[in-house]
Amino acid sequence: MLEINSVSVFYENALALNDLNIDVQQGEIVGVFGSNSAGKTTLFNTIAGLTLHLKRREQRKGGERITITGSIRFQGEEISLSKPSDRVEKGIILCRERHPVFRDNTVEENLRLGGYMRSGSEIKESLQFVYDLFPPLLRLKNKKAGMLSGGEQEMVAVGMALMARPKLLLMDEPLLGLSPLMQKEVVRAVKKIRQQGVTILLSEQYARPVMPIIDRGYVIENGTLVVSGTGQELMDNPEAKAAYFGM
Amino acid sequence: MEASVLLYGLVNSAVLMLTALGFSLTFGLSGVANFAHGSLYLAAGFIAWMILHYLGLPFMLSVVLTIIIVGILGAAMYRYILMPVRGIALSEVIATFAVGVAILEFFRWAGFVTYDFNLPSFVKGGVEIAGVDVDYQRVIIIGIGAGLAALLWYFSHKTKIGLALRGMAQDEYTALSLGIDSDWAAAISVGLGAALAAVAGLAILPLGLISINIGYDVLLIALAVTVLGGLESTTGLMVGSLILGFASVITANYLGPQWSEVVYLVAIVVVLAIKPSGLFGKFKELEERV
Ligand SMILES: Nc1ncnc2c1ncn2[C@@H]1O[C@H](COP(=O)(O)OP(=O)(O)OP(=O)(O)O)[C@@H](O)[C@H]1O
Ligand SMILES: [Mg+2]
Repeated sequence: MLEINSVSVFYENALALNDLNIDVQQGEIVGVFGSNSAGKTTLFNTIAGLTLHLKRREQRKGGERITITGSIRFQGEEISLSKPSDRVEKGIILCRERHPVFRDNTVEENLRLGGYMRSGSEIKESLQFVYDLFPPLLRLKNKKAGMLSGGEQEMVAVGMALMARPKLLLMDEPLLGLSPLMQKEVVRAVKKIRQQGVTILLSEQYARPVMPIIDRGYVIENGTLVVSGTGQELMDNPEAKAAYFGM
Repeated sequence: MEASVLLYGLVNSAVLMLTALGFSLTFGLSGVANFAHGSLYLAAGFIAWMILHYLGLPFMLSVVLTIIIVGILGAAMYRYILMPVRGIALSEVIATFAVGVAILEFFRWAGFVTYDFNLPSFVKGGVEIAGVDVDYQRVIIIGIGAGLAALLWYFSHKTKIGLALRGMAQDEYTALSLGIDSDWAAAISVGLGAALAAVAGLAILPLGLISINIGYDVLLIALAVTVLGGLESTTGLMVGSLILGFASVITANYLGPQWSEVVYLVAIVVVLAIKPSGLFGKFKELEERV
């Protein structure tokens, strides 16, 4: 479904992604693991088109700071030069790192905004799904999102992404900063989202909490692929073990 | 306070709010300080005048047409002039100011310099309120101000486009990742601000003759109100308009009308010196703005 072929991203002369090859099949949950500044966010932003947006923005001002090379294909189509909105239209939705929400808007306004590209009936249907998935949001729906706890904001952020009706959902460190209990909730939600036929690519620093749900994983360090394989294969690899258990 | 000061202070405040509304809205939504605001306001007056006199269309139709034309003009200004310099605040100011001057000087060149230009009031005549004579147009201005405030609240909280624009203003990258296009959002917000400048011009210009210099005065007022109230704050816009509205009426009443303009300039200088973020402004991180 998603094929990333020798993608590299340079900021100035620093290499953030180094000749990466990653592929995700329809219906899979695939993990990308790596420590701080490994390039996870850069990878996700590049798939969603945000890196290209930043590059074009800077180019208008006359800068040549960012270089992106390689090919990204989604459902067979080359998307590496598409605008973020075109990629959303195609069904690639990014739930950003640290789960940002629109703080001045209510929870329900946030969710409706998530469905910005979708029709009225689709919004209604998705809204029902999101409230079923995260029942606490129903009670909070008229509250300002900025007032919510971190865990609640995470639910809103994931909810917004779902409202956009992803075919491929990109989740950048969905467990970041959450309590173990809340982490379990999110893992449970991810499983349910997959049951809806959504393909998921997620990133984490440590793989252990998502271990039970991923089909395959990639470990990257300094933008370079270290090892990839199924959960068991990664477990058996001494280099990848560090990524799993934080040793 | 005398009833006349109270009433005219109120009317003047509504005039100021209406004058600054489009400028403040565009800035709040896209971070663009549109220094062509005053020129768009004035252009609305001349365009409406031309439609009325050369095409002879009915008044209400001319008003609607003018608002649409000026709104499109604003969006086009974003697309063709602002987009290439987007994000460089100083270039945005210079570019919009240049467009503004070009518009005003175009009208000067085209001969709109005599005292022949005025727009009809929406309704002729006036009423007496608490012993003070007020023409209907001034009452209507208060009504339009209140009506627009309600309409804009509805637009920005209940409509898809309004929510998208506010989302883009709050967190560009999250908005982008949900499929909202940043240039589209900015073009709409500049266009919307321009349309509001047109509404203000069409409502306020009938109070007097239309002259080119009004373009510069309006920009000064918009700057004074938004700087005082705090850029991008709706409460600030209202309070800023009320303070300046009453201050200038009181000054005109007790010191003489020639002093009322000075109030705006003094307000800008004092606020920038003491509290640059304005009375209700929040300081935003720079990277959030760009
Ligand atoms: N906009 C940018 N400009 C310059 N350098 C950047 C930019 N974004 C990221 N980088 C650099 O690229 C490298 C990869 O960063 P990235 O955010 O992708 O890492 P990450 O794996 O998401 O890390 P974390 O776990 O801390 O979120 C880092 O060295 C970072 O400093
Ligand atoms: Mg990251």
